[in-house]
Amino acid sequence: MDRRSAIRNTGLLAGASVTLPTFLSLLQSCKRETRLDWEPEFFTRDEAKTISTLVDMILPRTETPGALDVKVDIFIDKVIARTYEEQDQEAMRKAIADFNEDCLKNHGSVFNDLNESEKIKVLEAAEKSSGKFNPGIWGITIGNQEPVGFYRSMKAVAIWAYFTSREIGEGVLSYDPIPGNYNGCLPVKDVGNKWSL
Amino acid sequence: MAYYNIDAQTQTTYDAIVIGSGISGGWAAKELCEKGLKTLVLERGRIVQHVTDYPTMNLDPWDSELRGGLTPEQKKKHYKAIRSGWIGTDTEHFWADDEANPYTEVKPFLWLRGHHMGGRSLLWGKQTYRWSDLDFEANAKEGIGVDWPIRYKDMAPWYTYVEKFAGISGEALGLPQLPDSHFLPPMELNCVEKHVKGRIEGSFPGRHMIIGRVAHLTKPLNGRGQCQYRNRCSRGCPYGAYFSSNAVTLPAAQATGNLTIRPYSIVQSLVYDDTKGKATGVRIIDAETNEDIVFSAKIIFCNASTLSSTQILLNSTSDRFPNGFGNDSGELGHNLMDHTYRVGALGKVEGFEDKYYKGRRPNGIYIPRYWNVDETTRSDKFLRGFGYQGGGYRGGNPANIESFGGEFKDQILKPGPWEFFITGFAECLPYHENQVSLNSEVLDKWGQPTLSIDAEFKENEKALNRQIREDAVEMLEKAGLKDVIGFDKDHPPGYGVHEMGTARMGRDPKTSVLNGFNQVHAAKNVFVTDGSCMTSSSCVNPSLTYMAITARAANHAVSELKKRNI
Repeated sequence: MDRRSAIRNTGLLAGASVTLPTFLSLLQSCKRETRLDWEPEFFTRDEAKTISTLVDMILPRTETPGALDVKVDIFIDKVIARTYEEQDQEAMRKAIADFNEDCLKNHGSVFNDLNESEKIKVLEAAEKSSGKFNPGIWGITIGNQEPVGFYRSMKAVAIWAYFTSREIGEGVLSYDPIPGNYNGCLPVKDVGNKWSL
Repeated sequence: MAYYNIDAQTQTTYDAIVIGSGISGGWAAKELCEKGLKTLVLERGRIVQHVTDYPTMNLDPWDSELRGGLTPEQKKKHYKAIRSGWIGTDTEHFWADDEANPYTEVKPFLWLRGHHMGGRSLLWGKQTYRWSDLDFEANAKEGIGVDWPIRYKDMAPWYTYVEKFAGISGEALGLPQLPDSHFLPPMELNCVEKHVKGRIEGSFPGRHMIIGRVAHLTKPLNGRGQCQYRNRCSRGCPYGAYFSSNAVTLPAAQATGNLTIRPYSIVQSLVYDDTKGKATGVRIIDAETNEDIVFSAKIIFCNASTLSSTQILLNSTSDRFPNGFGNDSGELGHNLMDHTYRVGALGKVEGFEDKYYKGRRPNGIYIPRYWNVDETTRSDKFLRGFGYQGGGYRGGNPANIESFGGEFKDQILKPGPWEFFITGFAECLPYHENQVSLNSEVLDKWGQPTLSIDAEFKENEKALNRQIREDAVEMLEKAGLKDVIGFDKDHPPGYGVHEMGTARMGRDPKTSVLNGFNQVHAAKNVFVTDGSCMTSSSCVNPSLTYMAITARAANHAVSELKKRNI
């Protein structure tokens, strides 16, 4: 599945009857403001708003900080600016443009101008159509990895950026920089959230 | 404590010269210094002091600006090594510069190098296993390559000797094909690994699953601290808990007062004196000043790493050795081997959702070879065999979960599903045509010829890989795992980072480069004791054997020197 067709499928699925997940009510209770109080290094301001909205919807603030609270969007911008090769940067720009184009075609507006329930429909469809990552061990991807599509890639980067932020890595996940010993079997409840490192 | 000896700037004559400071060079330096020889270690790269030169050893991901991401400039500098998938900003400074040090892949080959004091002893996997007579006798029994000039009984005391100093943790099993080491207490299996072990051993008599035997201290030793289970080894360990030249052998050599380490010393060639029938010194290029300098010594140890030692020998030509130093046999550069790797299986384990572990254990499980170990385990599909490494852990990829939002976020903050995998390491036979040669068309930053590498796995290795995958899937399915996937990345040699051969030991000078004590047959004051000396590749990790074979050769060198035989 290539990235382009992944996003086209998004449009097909959006027309189907989809049960809204239970957290919709939570989201509706607080109106999402697309803010951009930072100067992107790589993204245009419109692209940055798209990314900010996406990562906020994937990892919203609950009892624990959300993606925007730990500046996931700002970090993604920096990573793309400083670690991506030029052709990968261009591909990223095109993927965002394609994503918005599909929103426009299927819902009449670019992503950021859609209302909350339309945005959710876009993401739900993307969850179904965007490919999955193959399993990996020791940094080796098992089998031939098909392209996963813009949404899944962005989600993966957002989760990585979220987990490796200081606020989450030290304050939310179980953080133990110097374990001192190994215990191969203990109740999960003795640890709590998963290990940070 | 400075490793420098300022005399190095003026002094050019030593008792011994050691080329390279990695795993085998560090041992050579320690043994020769402790036996009273004034020893010069020539290091191609910079000094890396234990602890003080480990800049990333305590960094959390959020402490570095790009959290491990490499810039395009860094990727370019490591454009070959990056294929390993192991380079991040935490270890980038310990990988060689591929642009300044090019090599040519006639067939695909990954050559991973560490050009600094300690070399790859800072980066290695620490898996440490003795070889057995199953390995040392295999070539002779099967008529493959040439016979090893040594047997397990020659090596056993030297294994014990290096293990006592290096510190090897593990569990004794009493298997003839995987002799027990002198062990510190073993690391612990986690609950899923214990479960899988029971199922595999119950279903497959003769197969064993043990915790990996590793060069990590599980108890303090000689002033070094024990493993703190941080799993940040490759950045350098502040406790000195794993074996590296920097933490273990070079400080011991330094303590004798006999050690000089000269950094930025690119060895160009060995200097041969035909009237004496031996090498008299080593010619270097100073990497910073481009100055040409010759150092003299009575004995020379080549420990530059498998391919680099051979590169130096190939580049050391004279009237006596027009085709490379000690290359009367024509075997120098040939018989390159590596272990096959990245073939195995993985799956999910259910029923342990309420269990977790604490600590980041820098070690996994090991399944010793069980094919072709006796008459009852004979395969008609391949010669030799393989072992597996692997492990169980809570993983999963949260990005694959088809959900987003608050509940999704809460879900992925919890430990993921248990997964378990094994990946095989198979023996590679020595093939004459798997070779390296000097390439004068491609020069390095200092104008020196580079290596062309022309090697591939062949039918026996492919047959071993097929069996690895088939057995791995069968074992994991019998162990009750779900969603078992077999895999074979079909990678070229080099990815195992166990490159061996190209200056093999043997009994006959007509068919080998080195004798049974790692001496060049035709110039007995030159010893080659890194991976290039290997006559076959076994299926177990080779580093412990490099340590033992080096200590043994150093002992012989000093004894021969005292008898004035060399």
